[in-house]
Parts: sequence; C-alpha cells; structure tokens
Amino acid sequence: MKKRMKKLMALTLALVMSTGVMAGCGKGKEADAGGKTKLSVGLWDSDQKEALEAMIDAYTKENPDVSVEIQLTPWKDYWTKLEASATGGVAPDVFWINTFHTELYQEGGILADLTEEVEKSDLDLDANYEKTLVDSYKIDEKLYAIPKDVGTVGLWYNKELFDKAGVEYPTDDWTWDDMLQAAEKLKGNMGEGNYAIAAPVNAEAYNPTIFAAGGNIISEDKTAPTYTMPETMEGVQCWIDLIEKGYSPTIEELTDSEPDARFQSGHLAMLVGGSYMTTQYSENEEIKEKIDVVEYPSYNGKEPNQAGGLGYAVFENSKQKDAAMDLAIWLGSEEAMTIQGQNSSVITARTDTQKYFTEKVPEWNLAAFVNHLDEATAMPYCKSMAELRTLESEKYTEAFSGQKTLEEVSEELQAEAQEIYDRMNEK
Amino acid sequence: MIQRKNAIPKTKMGKRRQKEEIAGYLFIAPVVIGLGIFYLFPFVQNIWFGFNEVNQFNVAKFCGIENYIRLFKDKDFVMAVTNSLKAMVIIVPSVLALSLLVASLLNTKIKGKSFYRTLYFLPAVTMSVAIAMVWKWIYNGEYGILNTVLGVFGIEGKNWLADPKYAFLMVLIVEIWMSVGYNMIILLAGMQGISKSYYEAAIIDGAGPIACFFKITIPILSPTILFVMITLMIGSFQIFDTIFMMIPKGSPALAESKTLVMMFYQNAFEYGQKGYAAAISTVIFLIVMLITAIQFALQKKWVHYEE
Repeated sequence: MKKRMKKLMALTLALVMSTGVMAGCGKGKEADAGGKTKLSVGLWDSDQKEALEAMIDAYTKENPDVSVEIQLTPWKDYWTKLEASATGGVAPDVFWINTFHTELYQEGGILADLTEEVEKSDLDLDANYEKTLVDSYKIDEKLYAIPKDVGTVGLWYNKELFDKAGVEYPTDDWTWDDMLQAAEKLKGNMGEGNYAIAAPVNAEAYNPTIFAAGGNIISEDKTAPTYTMPETMEGVQCWIDLIEKGYSPTIEELTDSEPDARFQSGHLAMLVGGSYMTTQYSENEEIKEKIDVVEYPSYNGKEPNQAGGLGYAVFENSKQKDAAMDLAIWLGSEEAMTIQGQNSSVITARTDTQKYFTEKVPEWNLAAFVNHLDEATAMPYCKSMAELRTLESEKYTEAFSGQKTLEEVSEELQAEAQEIYDRMNEK
Repeated sequence: MIQRKNAIPKTKMGKRRQKEEIAGYLFIAPVVIGLGIFYLFPFVQNIWFGFNEVNQFNVAKFCGIENYIRLFKDKDFVMAVTNSLKAMVIIVPSVLALSLLVASLLNTKIKGKSFYRTLYFLPAVTMSVAIAMVWKWIYNGEYGILNTVLGVFGIEGKNWLADPKYAFLMVLIVEIWMSVGYNMIILLAGMQGISKSYYEAAIIDGAGPIACFFKITIPILSPTILFVMITLMIGSFQIFDTIFMMIPKGSPALAESKTLVMMFYQNAFEYGQKGYAAAISTVIFLIVMLITAIQFALQKKWVHYEE
C-alpha cells in the first residue's frame, strides 16, 4: 500500500514536472469610467517610455475627454503577452508592432485596417514618410500600422585604434574596398587582442551587401527562398572573407566575446551596427569620446542599407476602436513625432522630424544613418521568418566557421528553407 | 494519507468523522484546485493541441497525427532525443556519485561542517541564469579563467562554447555542479536517519568504513537514492535554461546542442507553431514516463525498504 502510494506520488510528480508550460494572463480594462474614454498603449522599450508619456500628455491636453494608460512589457515577454491578451480580447488599444510580426498578426485578425481613417486624416503618408516604411505595414494594399521609427545600420569606428595603427579615419564616401584596405593596414598594428572589424552571422550586417550585390533571401512573391542566387552568395561571401583574411575574429571567438562587447570595450576598430545603439554608446564613458560613425560602405556602386523599424497598430477588437485609431494617427503627426524625436534616440519614421536624431550627439556624424534612407531596402519578411532566420543563422554559421563552403551550405539552406516555405504556403 | 489502524466502528463514526473529512478536503482544496487549473487542465489541453495546428492566437485546427508524422521525420528531433538521453546518461550517475561522496564526507565529524554544507548548497539557491552567466565567463576562450589555468600547464584551451564537440558537455558540467548541492542535502538527511547501532554492530564484527558504506549505508539509503535518481532523470531531460543562456545564437555549436525542451521552446515561442510544440512536449512526457516506469520496475531488485 505504502509502496503503491509512493509510486503514484512519483508518477504524479513526473507528470507535473514534464508539463510546466505557460499561463498567460491579461488585465481587463475598464471602458468609459467617469465619462472619459480610457485607452491603453502597449510598448516594450523602457528607454522610450518617457517620450511616449510626453506625447500622451500633449494628446490628452488636446483631448481632455480621453485618458491613456501606458503598458510597458519587456521585449522578451512582449509578444507572448500580446498574443495571450489578444486571444482573451484584452490587448492594448494601440500597440507597437514591428515588420516581422505584421503579416502574422494581420492574419490572426488582431490588427485593425487603418487605410480609410488615414486617408481621411491629414497625415499624408506619401509626402511625409519613406515609401519603404509605409509599404512594410501594407498587406494587399491595406495599411495596418502607422510607421513609428526606423532603424538602419552604419559603420561605427574607434578613432583611438585607427590612430594607433596610423590609418586615416573612415569617411561617408568609403567603398567596401576602401574598408578592406584600411582593415589590411589596421591588422596587427593595434596591439594584442584588437581586431579591425567583426563579421558575425548577423543578417543586419550582411543583408545590405546581399541587396547591393543584387540578391535577396526571398523571392519577390514571397513563396520561395533564394539562397543559391549567385548575387546572394556574393553578398555573404564578402563577410566570410573578412574572417579568412584575419580582419575579424573567428566565429568561435565572436561566440565567446560578441562584436558589440568588443567594440564597447575598445577592442574593435570597426563595427557594422544599428542606429539604435546610439543611446547605449553615448552612455558608455569608456568609448563615447573615442568613437564616431560613417555610412555603410558603398558596395557594387550602391549605398546599401536595410530599413527595419516599428509602427503603431490598433487592436481590431478594441471596444473604443475609433478613439484608438484617432490616437494612432495622431502619434504619426508632426507634433507627436517632434516630441518623440526630442525625447528619445530613435530615427522617427516621419522624414521632417529626423533632424532631431541626427543632432542627438552633436560630435557624432549621425546623419550617416539617414543620408541614404531613400535607397534602403525593407527588411525581408514573411510569416515564417522567425523559423527561417534560425535556420539561416545555423547554416551560415557552418560557412562562416569554415566547416563547409558557402556553396554547399547555400544548397542545403535552400532545400531546407523550401520545406518551411512549402509548409507556410500550404496553409 | 491518513491510515487508521484501529478504525472506529461504523456506527460510532457519526458527525465528528464527517466533519473531519470535510475539514480534510478543505485543507487540500487550494492545492488540488491550483494543480487542476495550472497543471492538469493545460496538460490535457496540451495533448489535444498536439493533434491540431495551433497558431499564435491559440486558434486550433484539427489535423490528426500530422504533427507527429512531421516530428518523426524531423532531423532535429533525432538529435534532440539523443542529446537529452546523453544528458541523462552523463548527469544521473555523476551527480549521484558526487552527492553521495560529499554527503558521506559531511556526515563525518569534521570541523566547519555547517560551513561546507552551506557552501555546497549555495548553487541550489542561486538563479540558474546567474550561474550560466558566471560559467560563460569561466569558459571564455580569450579571457576565461579555465583557459588561463590550462595555459599554466601548457595546455592550449578552446572556445569551449563554440566547439560542437565540447559545448554540450561543458554545459552538462555546469548542470552537474548545480545539482550536487541539492541532492547532497537529501542524501545527507537520509544518512542521518540511519541508526548508529547498525554501524556499531558492524564495527564489532570487524567491518571497515568501506564495508560499512556499501553494506549498510547504501542499502538503507536506497529508497532515497531512488528518489534522487528519478528527479535527476526528469531534471536532466528538461535541460533548457543553461543551454539557452550559455550557447548563444551564432555559436557553431548551437545547432548540435539542442535538447527536446529547447526544440519545444523554439517552436512554441519563436516560430508560433504551438500545435507542433505541443506534440513535442507530449513526446517528452511519454519518454519521461517510460523511463520512470522502467526505474520502478527495476527498483524491486535493489531498493530496500526498512520494515
């Protein structure tokens, strides 16, 4: 009897331990308390909460019958919580969304169609916004989010290491070859433990060269991968070359100490990095005075870049959808974008307020991030992008680490990615 | 469980017994309700989801055993099962041996016993994420203490967490280090429950310390050892956080270091394929169940219950 009991206990324990999954919960929201319309806005970046608060203050001053609650959820829980609360019908009325999730969420019926409301308003997206950004949130010609900000990449560099090796600083006019020549001169002349550049398996870094070479990772109709296109392979190979020539640490070394950590501790002369690093780098006393940034080196005669970013979406099942749409559209206005530009370090999606970003750190050439925004390519996406990215990163790692050639890896990648596309297209 | 040797005859049971029963149910109610809502219901739902295609928003579409067919064709699945089994085969015996050793050492009369006990137990009360971060630094190829120490002996270190051959093993070492303390405490408690008279009798009969350990400690401790083995086995099958923290995206070792739980996590929370993920976790459950059942079947041969 005692034994059987123990057995039962242990089996229950096993059952319990092997099922600890998730429990999502959303907070209910009260509608129209005290005659006021209560709206909520969801975001994930605590650094931008202050800017949002300032915008909301301005909005509620103009619209005294509306009160807005800000819901901050850290990035790692943001999507899980949003998915759970949207399923329960209690998602924030207006929330941040990135291009990565737009199509999936639209298909899930979570995003309100903003096309008509925007046309009625005085937002004029065509005149005030870069087309690439607006198109990122369009599905079948319908708009599902108001672009909020945009992120691009540039070439950050450490002046101290350039001085040490006696090499001239990079300029906005640099080509990829200029960068290679500088790397050759830097290599071995900056003291031990320092490298010229880092070539991690990071789509943000190699996507621009893929685009500039004329390739892509996804076919135009978004139904098939294009990893074996010679142009695509060229855009990736030029990064692998950086490791082979010894300009960059090996992938193994970059695993232990990541490119950003190396740059922030002053051990990396050049780093292809995002505009969104501006806040962190400007707060790093160790390197703030020593670094600057220039445009991504031109490649194949083009100014390559990739524009990612996020937008404001409206919850389709919001009880105050009209009020929510009004707020979302206002957040895209010049007034709101000005407040955003002044209070945070992101590049606003609205062209006329981008100057606030470029003036953020006067001693840095931050204009490098926006100079060629009109030539930037939108971040490629489809519904299975998260899965594709993981596969791509795992496969490319084999090529970057020299275990296999890029040709072999691309063939495998193409075949395995095709399976993911097939599964996606089936639905 | 309440066992009454001399149960009161039925006629006298009356209201008092009834009241006691109600009170008993009330006492267990919070736990039972909690388990029902947070474990039993999701468990059943999980099995159901395994036969559906489920998107991010929990919209389920029945698809029969399609998820399972896909799973058994998935290359990653074979590797993940192999890795999980590998983890089990390495972790269970080594943690058991180490914690037995530490427990018996701490069960003797040595100075600063409670200090050492605290020291060995510390990893058990530290967040695994914090532990993973510290070990990541220890293993760092260029600046890590491990390679510095190896360098003193003229051995050239590696980028341990980037090498497909070593990365998984290195993480298992951390897992072992983390679990010794907790299991040591359980075994130690078991050892302290063993009556001194057994040892006294054995010593009079001429038994040495080693004979005492294998002929007295181990057999009497065997139910505790079984418990430790089962929890370790289940735990080692569920390794996730240390690998997730220590082998970052972009590491050449990542593709070959996935475990079943890792595969589940990626599908459920990164790819938004909750149906497929549910199928994976059902398989995890079945495997764990099977191994536990085998252990229970084998226990008759070696576990000794004191009467």
